[in-house]
Amino acid sequence: MNSRVWAVGASAAATVAAALVLIVVTTAQRRYERAFAFRMAGTTAAYIAAVTPPPPPPAPPPPPPRRRAGLRGRRQTPPPQPPPAPSSLSSAARSYDLPSLLTQARALSTLPGWSSDVEVYFGTAPLVDATAPPLSPDDLQHLAAGGRWRNGVALVPVKDRDGQEVVGAVAVQPRPAPHGPLPGGFGFVFPAAILAVGAAATIAFREHSLRRGGYVGAALLLALAGYLDVRAAARQSTDRWLVDTRRLLQEAATRLPPPRTRVAITDLASMVRGGEIVAGEPGESAPRRVRIDGELRAVVAVLIGSGRWIELRSVPAEAEASTWLILLVPCALLGPMAIGALRWAERTPARNRRETALAWGFLAPAALHLMIFTIGPAIYAIYLATLADFRALLRDPLTWNSFVTSGAYTLYVPISVALALGAALAVHRYKRKGSRLYRAAFLLPYVSSVVAAALLWQAIYGAGSLGLGRADWLSNPNTALLALMLVSIWVHVGGQMLVFLAGLDVIPQAYFDAALVDGAGAWRRFRRVTLPLLRPVTWFVFLTGVISALQMFTLVFVLTQGGPSPLHATDVVVHRIYRTAFGPQAFGMASALALMLAVVLLVFRWPQLALLRRQARHA
Amino acid sequence: MASVTLRRLSKVFDGGVQALHPLDLDVRDGELLVLLGPSGSGKTTVLRCIAGLEEPTTGDVVIGERIVTHAPPADRDVAMVFQSPALYPHLTVRENIAFPLEMRGVSDAQIARRVLEAVARLGLQAVLDRAPEKLSEGERQRAALGRAIVRGPQAFLFDEPLSRLDATLRIELRGELLALHRALGATMIYVTHDQTEAMTMGQRIAVLHEGRLRQVGTPEEVYQRPADVHVARFVGTPGMNVLHGRGRGTGEGERVIEAGSLSIPIELSSYEGELQVGIRPEFVDLCAVDKGVGNADVLVVEPLGSETLVHLNTGGQPLVARLPGFADVRVGTRVGVKVDRRRLYLFDAAGAPLA
Repeated sequence: MNSRVWAVGASAAATVAAALVLIVVTTAQRRYERAFAFRMAGTTAAYIAAVTPPPPPPAPPPPPPRRRAGLRGRRQTPPPQPPPAPSSLSSAARSYDLPSLLTQARALSTLPGWSSDVEVYFGTAPLVDATAPPLSPDDLQHLAAGGRWRNGVALVPVKDRDGQEVVGAVAVQPRPAPHGPLPGGFGFVFPAAILAVGAAATIAFREHSLRRGGYVGAALLLALAGYLDVRAAARQSTDRWLVDTRRLLQEAATRLPPPRTRVAITDLASMVRGGEIVAGEPGESAPRRVRIDGELRAVVAVLIGSGRWIELRSVPAEAEASTWLILLVPCALLGPMAIGALRWAERTPARNRRETALAWGFLAPAALHLMIFTIGPAIYAIYLATLADFRALLRDPLTWNSFVTSGAYTLYVPISVALALGAALAVHRYKRKGSRLYRAAFLLPYVSSVVAAALLWQAIYGAGSLGLGRADWLSNPNTALLALMLVSIWVHVGGQMLVFLAGLDVIPQAYFDAALVDGAGAWRRFRRVTLPLLRPVTWFVFLTGVISALQMFTLVFVLTQGGPSPLHATDVVVHRIYRTAFGPQAFGMASALALMLAVVLLVFRWPQLALLRRQARHA
Repeated sequence: MASVTLRRLSKVFDGGVQALHPLDLDVRDGELLVLLGPSGSGKTTVLRCIAGLEEPTTGDVVIGERIVTHAPPADRDVAMVFQSPALYPHLTVRENIAFPLEMRGVSDAQIARRVLEAVARLGLQAVLDRAPEKLSEGERQRAALGRAIVRGPQAFLFDEPLSRLDATLRIELRGELLALHRALGATMIYVTHDQTEAMTMGQRIAVLHEGRLRQVGTPEEVYQRPADVHVARFVGTPGMNVLHGRGRGTGEGERVIEAGSLSIPIELSSYEGELQVGIRPEFVDLCAVDKGVGNADVLVVEPLGSETLVHLNTGGQPLVARLPGFADVRVGTRVGVKVDRRRLYLFDAAGAPLA
């Protein structure tokens, strides 16, 4: 009976995991559809702007009759139809000629081969389907902010020719497209989900009839199927845009307003923001993927006149689709994990189960924090950094400079460790005579804010006080790094001394007594007894010191900004990462640099962990 | 080897705690003297003053002919073994034993020879190149011993070296220490709170109590003729029973001490007033109710095989009787108490012996 309960639980866990994967896939598909709709709407808005002429400058006699004829049935008052648009004459030249706009909009809605429904608004009034509701004030607000997604419709603004005011809008509603290659438009993920749940149920109810790893395989298959579907959706969104935009371009080539007899590529290029247009050769009608200068591009050939071909290019959306694996794989693995937990619970006595649950309860906040703020970003950084980033970094002299600078900066650590050890020995020796005061004096810089310390030293260096004499310590490239190292020593000695003191306090007095009685002098006692007994502590202080020195950012950021400027004299690695990420927004490069630093840190972290393990074993 | 003499030695610690009241002690050349006392009695302080790890507040420490009161430990030529072996964890057994010689600048060849000698004496040859953490408890304490004997110092100081070992090992090492003392003929001062250790090892025992030296004498003297009530209580397992009481004449030429529920006839001249009467557990016997010097309630019975300890309540004062074999005594019953009148010790109210 117990095992039946377990089997039900395992099947439920697998079902939940499969459902989660389905939800992720559906969400991703919606996202891509939405992205397509927005992109298409943007392109359409640009198209409209390009093909519609401005209104005729003088007060025109009556507007062209034939155009209004189409509307007469519905609208009684012809002259100033749209309320807000032609309000100011000065901006009229920047606006669009309404009758032509109407023509263009109508033409759009009947464009053959389009995969979306389109509506164009002038002011708030719909032009294609005049009975449709006008734009709400809420819509207008969103349009001013760049656009909105409403009930499966992407709404983007149409701006005047200067790109200043919103004079209308384009709404694009993609028609539903099949979501997968399987019959009925199903994706791979549905059969995979059924397979995974089935496998879990089979394993659970028939106990050991299948290997337990079988379900992990099924779960990974599920994740893979989900990924394939997401990728297909991404590809589809790019392809739809390419094909629909091709249609627009061909239309534009015939409709661009008069003075241009032969359409220049540049005129068309302004329409396809987020893509590019180059002169092309005859090609097949289906979109393709090609490598251009090492970068993958989605391309389609467009015929824009007799014998004139151009090529429309875009970054394929599926290039980024693997990001979804970050969600898909954990969701899929939730099933095996839950089943593993259930199996463990089944085998383990209730008491141990409670203890383990309790332990995890205590660990959960820390574990969660670690997952979200440490492991997650680390994985994301690995994902962001590409090989090209590493190659670029290795070629960049600033990278090497930053590592050399960090290395040089780290040299303060042995000095501060030695000073801290000396101070600790002194305080330890004169334990009884006001050592609390010493401790407090040494500790104060360590516990105060680094920024505060930096500002204090900025003032000291700036004034050349404390007998420093000159005032250019931080601005002179020869001394800037040294000045930073001095501040670091000042900041760190106290904390390191405290660790040494704690280390000295746990050494049994008998060692020192024995050395005294055995006739060792002060120096020999230090060299032969104290120092070896403090070795683990010294290593700990040294390694943590080096690690924190390699991670140093605040001092540089506050005091020198990596300068004195052209020389990058204090441009340490973390500062370089910061500059790379938030200067040119090169997050890939920044991540790559961070990973390089992580490798260096690992070299120091590894012995530190070994040290801690050894201490834990001895404790 | 040399004698160790303490003259009016006292120690007041920084907080104002008087750890030692002025004391004189003369440890003869080649003697094994045990400093015995409960924890906090100041025995370790005496030892640390001799070693030079503490500076006495008053008085002098004389080793051989030299006054070394203010000399640093290194110049006193004494060796000390601590409660913990205090072997340097980063050195092997060989290096640990060689350490004091090395500090004194002895040549390498000499060191090697003397280390081997010491090691052979202690049976540590097999573990010579091991780290201390790989040794057994006993081997570690032996190695610490090796570090002390390798130098051939003027005197050895032992600060409860066996107190951390288990009982079997303690007895084994006790024997080895004695053998070592005989073989080396060395002056040894041995601090312990374990009076069994003191009785079995010491040629003489110096008993400390609350920072005062109470008695110095052979084990027999200390046991048979305790200098005061503290010594009487502390020496022996269990220690002497001490009952608070009062002497009085009965008017018919007889004199008794009334202590709790006991009324013990005595033949002493000075008996009047408050006093304390001591009797060792082996001289207390049980009999039928009202047949002895008084009655008592049985609180606890401890059968130990060869003997049985019976803890009694005599009118509010505890009394322990040691009976041979398994005695048939039940907890909660009332019994009569007999004492061997010739084995009584009388102390005045302050604890000093009455003539």
